[in-house]
Amino acid sequence: MFPSKSSNDDRDLVGRARRGDREAFTQLIVQYQVPLYNMALRMVGKPDDAADITQEAFLRAWEKIRTLREAPFKSWLFQIAANLCYDHFRRGRRFGVMPDEDQTSLQASNVVGLGIATPDPQERTEANARTRLVRDSIQALDHDMRIAIVLRDVNGMAYEEIAAVLRVPLGTVKSRIARARAQVQERLQQHPDFFPTREDAHAE
Amino acid sequence: MPSEPRIPTEPTLEELSAYLDHELDAGAQARVAEHVAGCAECTRRLNGLRETVSAVRALPMETPNRTFTIPSERRQSFRWAPVGWLGGAAAALLIIVVGVNQLHGPGSALGTALTSRGANAPAAGLSRPEVAPLNGSNQYAAADAQKFSSNSTTVVDPRNSSRSLTVGTDARSYSATGVIALHVTTNGLSAAEASSVRLFVTRDSGYSVRLAPPSKESTFPFNYDAAYSVPQMQLQAPVEGNYTLRVEIDLSDHSTLVARLPLTITP
Repeated sequence: MFPSKSSNDDRDLVGRARRGDREAFTQLIVQYQVPLYNMALRMVGKPDDAADITQEAFLRAWEKIRTLREAPFKSWLFQIAANLCYDHFRRGRRFGVMPDEDQTSLQASNVVGLGIATPDPQERTEANARTRLVRDSIQALDHDMRIAIVLRDVNGMAYEEIAAVLRVPLGTVKSRIARARAQVQERLQQHPDFFPTREDAHAE
Repeated sequence: MPSEPRIPTEPTLEELSAYLDHELDAGAQARVAEHVAGCAECTRRLNGLRETVSAVRALPMETPNRTFTIPSERRQSFRWAPVGWLGGAAAALLIIVVGVNQLHGPGSALGTALTSRGANAPAAGLSRPEVAPLNGSNQYAAADAQKFSSNSTTVVDPRNSSRSLTVGTDARSYSATGVIALHVTTNGLSAAEASSVRLFVTRDSGYSVRLAPPSKESTFPFNYDAAYSVPQMQLQAPVEGNYTLRVEIDLSDHSTLVARLPLTITP
């Protein structure tokens, strides 16, 4: 498959988790929760739904990890989450929600910083508007294109890894990513204030 | 990867996109570069794509506002299942109900109910008294220490995996006249953090009963055993049903560790 540092690091933890070691699996959760959650978030949009999908993906992975043979844990885990995203679209359901998932006890919440810190309020507003625009442009894509661009440009996966997650040929990955980018670009360019079309730009 | 030599011809959208990702083979990569260098139109196309890619990659990585957990044992996992799994969930419930564990607390032990003072209590629990642990319940619990592994969960601070909260009960199912023995431990938390612990029993329909927290003299590293009488919780009728034991600890960074354990109460 595709050799990567993380898959080697995972091997020991996965081996232990397969033998029922919860601590090892918990370490895998810690390692993958943010990328997996962000994949789900960019796919389904709502933080609560994304967290439900992430939780359900970890549960299913834990239950099924003994069946994991050769495939790298990472692409297998993302495959589970991707399937849950598709289920979510098909049935409009939420996963793994405890009915007492009340916000009252978590109202102060624990959202820990969201990346770009821009001290100037004007700049921050613009950064937020820009972020919203990009996010909405991704949301407007059809599911197949959306997941391809998310795995590539949000999760930074190589084409071969994406092909493994989505179980589609490499050529399909390539074309979905390209078409997704073209459609996002088209939407962004409708807002020249944020995304000026550079007629004067030069190639490297 | 099929990328036939199309030397000076205009690269396709796919080729430009894969070129940006360095996902073309070396020959094709060079051909696209060569073409783009001499073609203003393709330079413009490539730059447009490149800016789009940068915009998407600049999306902030967000932190989930809850912790993710796995149940204590694989096959006994209990959760609110997707519709397609209802059959399995129903079967699991049946096993839990059939395997009722009749527990009776020490008959003479009656704790004092304290008034809830928790600003953090769920709204539904505000007017209800806290349920105090049974006297001597730490011994009660300690005697059953080995049982706690049967129903337990651990949640880990997502920003520091050496910090965690573990909650266990001596069974998953209790009778309406039973006693719930529980065991709460923390790892890597400060005394101030651990002492913020809040315990609730929440009905799946939404209301909560707050359990009185451990006394001040609890030992650190935080290690709390207690038993609570189900009748003292004065649960709304019909008492039998699905509940969640929820344990919360406020961390110094204003986030909250929340551990949940499913409980079933039978008639």
